[in-house]
Amino acid sequence: MCCVGFAPNITFCIQEMKLISSFFSLSFRLVLPNKSIFYPPGMSESIIPPEVRPKPAVPAKPPHVAAPSPTAPHGPSGLGGGVGVDRVPGLGHSGGGSTLLGYIGIDTIIEQMRKKTMKAGFDFNIMIVGHSGLGKSTLVNTLFKSQVSRWSSGWGGEHKIPKTVEIKAVSHVIEEGGVKMKLTVIDTPGFGDQINNENCWDPISKYINEQYEKFLKEEVNIARKKRIPDTRVHCCLYFISPTGHSLRQLDIEFMKHLSRVVNIIPVIAKSDTMTPDEKNEFKHRVRKELETYGIEYYPQNEFDDDMEDKNENDKIREAMPFAVVGSDKEYQVNGKRVLGRKTAWGVVEVENPNHCEFALLRDFLIRSHLQDLKEVTHNIHYETYRARRLNDNGGLHPISVNNTQESNL
Amino acid sequence: MLLAPGAVGNEKQYVGFATLPNQVHRKSVKKGFDFTLMVAGESGMGKSTLVNSLFLTDLYKDRKLLNSEERINQTVEIIKHTVDIEEKGVKLKLTIVDTPGFGDAVNNNECWKPITDYIDQQFEQYFRDESGLNRKNIQDNRVHCCLYFIPPFGHGLRPVDVEFMKALHEKVNVVPLIAKADCLTPNEIKKLKDRVREEIERFGIKVYQFPECDSDEDEEFKQLDKELKECCPLAVIGSNTVVETRGQRVRGRLYPWGIVEVENQSHCDFVKLRNMLIRSHMHDLKDVTCDVHYENYRAQCIQDMTSKLTQDNRMESPIPILPLSTPDVETDRLIKMKDEELARMQEMLNKMQQQIHDGKDQ
Repeated sequence: MCCVGFAPNITFCIQEMKLISSFFSLSFRLVLPNKSIFYPPGMSESIIPPEVRPKPAVPAKPPHVAAPSPTAPHGPSGLGGGVGVDRVPGLGHSGGGSTLLGYIGIDTIIEQMRKKTMKAGFDFNIMIVGHSGLGKSTLVNTLFKSQVSRWSSGWGGEHKIPKTVEIKAVSHVIEEGGVKMKLTVIDTPGFGDQINNENCWDPISKYINEQYEKFLKEEVNIARKKRIPDTRVHCCLYFISPTGHSLRQLDIEFMKHLSRVVNIIPVIAKSDTMTPDEKNEFKHRVRKELETYGIEYYPQNEFDDDMEDKNENDKIREAMPFAVVGSDKEYQVNGKRVLGRKTAWGVVEVENPNHCEFALLRDFLIRSHLQDLKEVTHNIHYETYRARRLNDNGGLHPISVNNTQESNL
Repeated sequence: MLLAPGAVGNEKQYVGFATLPNQVHRKSVKKGFDFTLMVAGESGMGKSTLVNSLFLTDLYKDRKLLNSEERINQTVEIIKHTVDIEEKGVKLKLTIVDTPGFGDAVNNNECWKPITDYIDQQFEQYFRDESGLNRKNIQDNRVHCCLYFIPPFGHGLRPVDVEFMKALHEKVNVVPLIAKADCLTPNEIKKLKDRVREEIERFGIKVYQFPECDSDEDEEFKQLDKELKECCPLAVIGSNTVVETRGQRVRGRLYPWGIVEVENQSHCDFVKLRNMLIRSHMHDLKDVTCDVHYENYRAQCIQDMTSKLTQDNRMESPIPILPLSTPDVETDRLIKMKDEELARMQEMLNKMQQQIHDGKDQ
């Protein structure tokens, strides 16, 4: 089944979830299985998250129960099994403040939110940066299994190198499992292609800040829109040329300047040019150099919430940068049709973990950390920008009374 | 066979100068050959690996790869490695000129200048030696061929590629190669080659042209030559590691999805490059360097010198003055005529102005 995998993430998309989460201390790394989510009200056992609690000894009460029965609460887990509150079954419940004397049905809020976000859809903005010819457009098309890059939106076949770095954003709406995602791919042709590449990251930096500014303006408006259109760059995929030696000067300069402004995910492009040994050596060297220069790529160390996050992210950080190969052509290998590149000596399979790490990148980017990317952008990068703007303005809103005030970037 | 004068009709007299080529051959074998090859391109293009594969040596044993911290302030350097190779009694003194640091900085303006300076220096040294008194043991350090590595990751030539080749195409034989060709599918290689060929023509870059075949060469040679011309630029892969495939031990690269054989013609053009560079065109490369590039340099040099001398009113110079290229008499005359005409017109204009002035006064 061709599945990109962003459908489960909709459950966590709403601002209000923050309040609820602190109330119930839910873990947001729950990935619900992709089962049918329609269930008759009152049957709380239908949602079975991974850490399932033992079923309550008492039969589930209808949601509107008011008077609790005296014996019920001190049995194992008076609440429905779906919430995952930290209670040890069998022990008397003490303290904690979440003693409920019957089933209320608060956990159904997850379902309500899910339905709402399904209707609203959500958006994701990804920027791709790298020299021309590193396979950026192909990789993005492969990641989202659709023709989303600008080359497929009807551009002519001529790959002319522009004289300055341009910023080209192309939006598509893709749908999976009833979930709509508005994906915007921001391409940066001309990056690193000139003879003199000094400050070629300035247009990119300016664009990112402009998006923050737009959002800030909307936020500060008196009559705000219900859902502010989010054009901020959630993730920047930076393509490293697979020389096999080490990072280039330009790579380091770019990442140094932009890792504090946006989430950067470095990937090694066209990695079918390196044998497995060369790949490992190169990755190791790149990681060491990134560390030497203090470049914090996503997932950043400092933003890990708890031990569980940290462990998971540590594993990912150790495997980064991912060495990927992209392709939108299918070939027959061992009786199966796979995406790959056919050469005279074999077929490079894009989704084969022995060949390249595309599957790892896709799972990381889309199936587990998509929402986190958005959250880090909103909670950290955007807030940093906002604080800086407010500071510059002496603590006042940059656009308080006068709506025509120019933004000074 | 030429009949010597005075020979009796039927008796074919054998003079024996048909053995001249053999004599030349023996002498040159004794003397040995030399060849200077320059490799240029960004770091990480596989230049050192390719050189090692071509000549089956390990010229870069003690090389330390710089990490990016050390490379921040690196400028383009010129490093020479010399190695003596002998095969079947024929000695070759091979010099490889390496250009680390080329194209690696953020600002690569004029990063080819150290390279052009080096080539000019070698020409100058040879020029002085040639004009000197003792010409017995001239050391020929002129660069005979420059292999330029084009990255396979782009969509054709980049600005830095074009500028480099244009700066060098009149000083040295430039042979463009597509590096690391194992990351391209056959279709992509063809497209890239077509693009590069078209751009080379569009920008007027004069890369090394294979000489035309003589009409009396055999068919096989002509066929090979034709194939070679069509394959330009050559897409190469280098490797010095031996892998086992199909029961044989060959040089190649081992991937999880297959084995790339360096010497397999259907995998890459390495064999063509080696044949071209070493087996068939080495001497031609040297000839073109001597006859064309060096002569261009020499003519330019002498012209500069003599024009300087005429400016300084013919100072004495140690180097004998060679006959000046005769200035174009016709153009000189025309210029003189125009000058006189201009002077006359100026005079008339002055007179008219004077008249008007006088007229006003009255």
